[in-house]
Amino acid sequence: MREKIFEARDLEIQFNLRGRVLTAVHKASIELYSNETLAIVGESGSGKSVFTKSFLGMLDKNGYISGGSLLFEGQDLAKLKTEKEWLQIRGKKIAMVFQNPMTSLNPVKTVGEQIREVITWHFGTDKEEAAKEAVRLLDMVGIDNPEVRYKQYPHEFSGGMRQRVVIATAIACRPKILICDEPTTALDVTVQAQILQLIRQLQKELGMSVVYITHDLGVVANVADRVSVMYAGQIIEYGLVREIFKDPQHPYTKALLESLPQLSGRDRALHSIKGSPPNLYHEIKGDAFAPRNPHAMKIDFELEPPFFQVSETHWAKTWLLHEKAAGYRRQLAEMPEPPEPVLVKAPHTGDPLLSVRGLTVNFKLGRREFSAVKDASFDIYPGETFSLVGESGSGKTTIGKAIMKICHTNAGDIFYEGKKINHKLPRKELTEYRQKVQMIFQDPMASLNERAKVDYIISEGLYNFHLFKNEAERLKKVSDAMHSVGLLDEYATRFPHEFSGGQRQRIGIARSLIVVPQLVIADEPISALDVSIRAQVINLMNQLKKDKNLTYLFIAHDLSVVRYFSDRIAVMYKGRIVELSEAEELFAHPLHPYTRSLLQSAPIPDPDLERGKQVIVYDPSQHDYSKNAPFWSEIAPHHFIWANEPELEQYQRELAR
Amino acid sequence: MNESTGIQYNDLPDELFTAAEFNEQTAEEVGFSNYSYWRSTLRTFLKSPLIRVMLIVVTLLVAFTFLYPMISDIDPYSVSLSASDWNLPISAEHPFGTDGVDRDIWARVWYGTRTSFILAAVVAVMQVGIGVILGSIWGYNKRLDPLFFGIYNTITNIPSTIYLVLIAYIIRPGFWTIIIALVSSGWITEARWFRNRILALREADYNVASRCLKTPMRRIISRNIVPHIMSLIIMDAALTIPSSIGSEVFLSFIGLGIPSEWVTLGNLVNQSRSSFTVYPFQMLCPTAILCIITVSFYIIGNRFADASDPKNHV
Repeated sequence: MREKIFEARDLEIQFNLRGRVLTAVHKASIELYSNETLAIVGESGSGKSVFTKSFLGMLDKNGYISGGSLLFEGQDLAKLKTEKEWLQIRGKKIAMVFQNPMTSLNPVKTVGEQIREVITWHFGTDKEEAAKEAVRLLDMVGIDNPEVRYKQYPHEFSGGMRQRVVIATAIACRPKILICDEPTTALDVTVQAQILQLIRQLQKELGMSVVYITHDLGVVANVADRVSVMYAGQIIEYGLVREIFKDPQHPYTKALLESLPQLSGRDRALHSIKGSPPNLYHEIKGDAFAPRNPHAMKIDFELEPPFFQVSETHWAKTWLLHEKAAGYRRQLAEMPEPPEPVLVKAPHTGDPLLSVRGLTVNFKLGRREFSAVKDASFDIYPGETFSLVGESGSGKTTIGKAIMKICHTNAGDIFYEGKKINHKLPRKELTEYRQKVQMIFQDPMASLNERAKVDYIISEGLYNFHLFKNEAERLKKVSDAMHSVGLLDEYATRFPHEFSGGQRQRIGIARSLIVVPQLVIADEPISALDVSIRAQVINLMNQLKKDKNLTYLFIAHDLSVVRYFSDRIAVMYKGRIVELSEAEELFAHPLHPYTRSLLQSAPIPDPDLERGKQVIVYDPSQHDYSKNAPFWSEIAPHHFIWANEPELEQYQRELAR
Repeated sequence: MNESTGIQYNDLPDELFTAAEFNEQTAEEVGFSNYSYWRSTLRTFLKSPLIRVMLIVVTLLVAFTFLYPMISDIDPYSVSLSASDWNLPISAEHPFGTDGVDRDIWARVWYGTRTSFILAAVVAVMQVGIGVILGSIWGYNKRLDPLFFGIYNTITNIPSTIYLVLIAYIIRPGFWTIIIALVSSGWITEARWFRNRILALREADYNVASRCLKTPMRRIISRNIVPHIMSLIIMDAALTIPSSIGSEVFLSFIGLGIPSEWVTLGNLVNQSRSSFTVYPFQMLCPTAILCIITVSFYIIGNRFADASDPKNHV
């Protein structure tokens, strides 16, 4: 048996908030062994971050450990009080890597100095020695030219590079435990794969134990040895990674895995988890997941289940494993799958609804001007879902905004139903256009007016386009819109802060669909949502598409969702569309090296596939465009690519194979 | 195959291990805090004992200035020809004494405070109102930048005394002259402050969403932006009050304010100036009231600004 180096036992964490006591973590326990990677999986509000922050004494001012113990090196960390005591542990023996590398570095100090400081602070090493060590660390985390980079400031580093620097500071003291709080969520997929690889490699070199906090099951499959699943402040299941992925026991774990679009067939609706995840204000009775579990037993509402052992390493907190539930378990297994609606594929023929021709958008950054979008051309046909995929900064959102007419264009044309729209439109035409084209926003927390009631938010379009004759008709329309997105009538009088992210996103969808648009631009509508409600929103969007005859322009960075959702996909890199094809064709025959790298780096929630994966890094300098200029051409029917003559020949050979 | 860890769970009734009914509504119930922005702002604001004291002081002061003329029959303008009534010291009959022509200073202080309050309130409302309206026009029209920045630089770079003096010379001194003088210099700072707020908020997703729905600018400002910064507007108006009172005192002090036959705090301070060395209380008493008012308003305004920041709502 490996050595147990850390244990949290029955930890309970409470917060004082505006005169109330809220329990964020209910009796959670984990064990951590040497050299292993433990992933703590949970949605926002599940208490996973709070739980791990308590290992470092980094709870917010109003939070405190109200029970249980944290055993580390013969000491109970839960009993530590002063900052001075914590400094012996924090950073030195247990270190943390935070989510956003943009905010966790000091912008006015060189990165080298920041690492050096950590070393001198903890070990009292003299400056020169520490500086040498810092350069060594930078080299270790894969930063080229560490001596030069040592003297640079954080703004001279890209997001991925900054996260490497943050990791370097975290490992500067050779900690025993490294806690990574969503270390790659703020990064692009291709960078994410590299960072995960780096952490794994460092773990091996330094012999650390790593705790990952994440909501992304793909990342878990990639990195974890063992997994703990958290829900509503409790750990509900834990086991080896294969046990969790291949033989989940708790209904929540099962449902979570089933709802992933990566694992679902293209032609069926996704399995979705009903309802919304509870937050701290929700009182829990019995099994926390029971209210959202359509197959819950009566006992789930009465009594909190204990942990049942599944195997030596696998435990789950669900009544289903009780011997008296054996009969019910059989019943569940025999239950036929409910028939699910079939998705229809739209043919992309006839007249396009929207045509973009040679669109270019330039922005000024200081004195420099750069093109956010370069010469983009594509058509969207009525009834189809067209996806733009690319990393942050690739210009995909800018295209959406240009179509939405909330962003200028420098060259090219946008035609809607054959009419050019990217110039100043007469008032009447603009009103018509606004009604026909609507947008769904990425962040449901930011896209609703906090000071208005849901009723007003949803009716905003009705007021603007005068779509009702009297108050009764308006109320009827609002109520219909709310029903169509699965919200209850009584919510109309509430304010947005009373809703969860998924519910807020549905309010946003209702707001744009109530004016009966034809084209809906969905700008990463699910990337800010919790895993358990993504499937819900995707299904909802698909359902509405069928019912209301919508056309979608879907903007995303997550290829797995895009594959499931779209008819055609355009891949963007640095402002340029590099490849455009039907969804299945693109996944079957990706031609452009960037598309390949993007497809390959998306994490797959299957530990068997994810483990052996090699990361391909796309390097734009591999194209030699000095002699032959690249151009946009149709290499196969409906399959377009940005390439020059020799490349085209090579791609054609690959296609023929 | 499965082992129960708790033995006491074995005598559970079998009936409990059957399917329960699924209720869509309870699945949607996430539980929410009964957080209300205004309630939390007020709670945070009133938590400090200092603020509670200040609020009581200010309320009493304001109430008293308006009630005083009703409960007292002392005429603040009545003069006496008998020198024995002049410059009386503090007594029960004259709590602040009398001035050089036997006007009761106690009465004059309250009449003066009332005038100053009315003046400050009018200035605050006008200044913030004009600032909000012009600031939103400015914030939504980038083309107006050169014009407004020109005005802003002109007004803020020339010492306000100079044009206050100028305006007071051009227009005959009076109640409205002071208001025009103060508002004409103060609105631009308000407008600029409000413009910055708009610039910060107009690209927020929820305002872009409103724009995509073709919500007119007027309604975006009144429904989306103003409610978001209402607390800041209130704070701003509260802070304008002491500074307007201060400016009035200053203008009256240099003789350009409200004509001296009116009672204002400024005139009181001005008139007692000449005899300050002989009868210091004639100046000290009105000044003390002035200090209490301005200091309380400053503290209240600043604390309200802190309390209105949601980060402090813990």
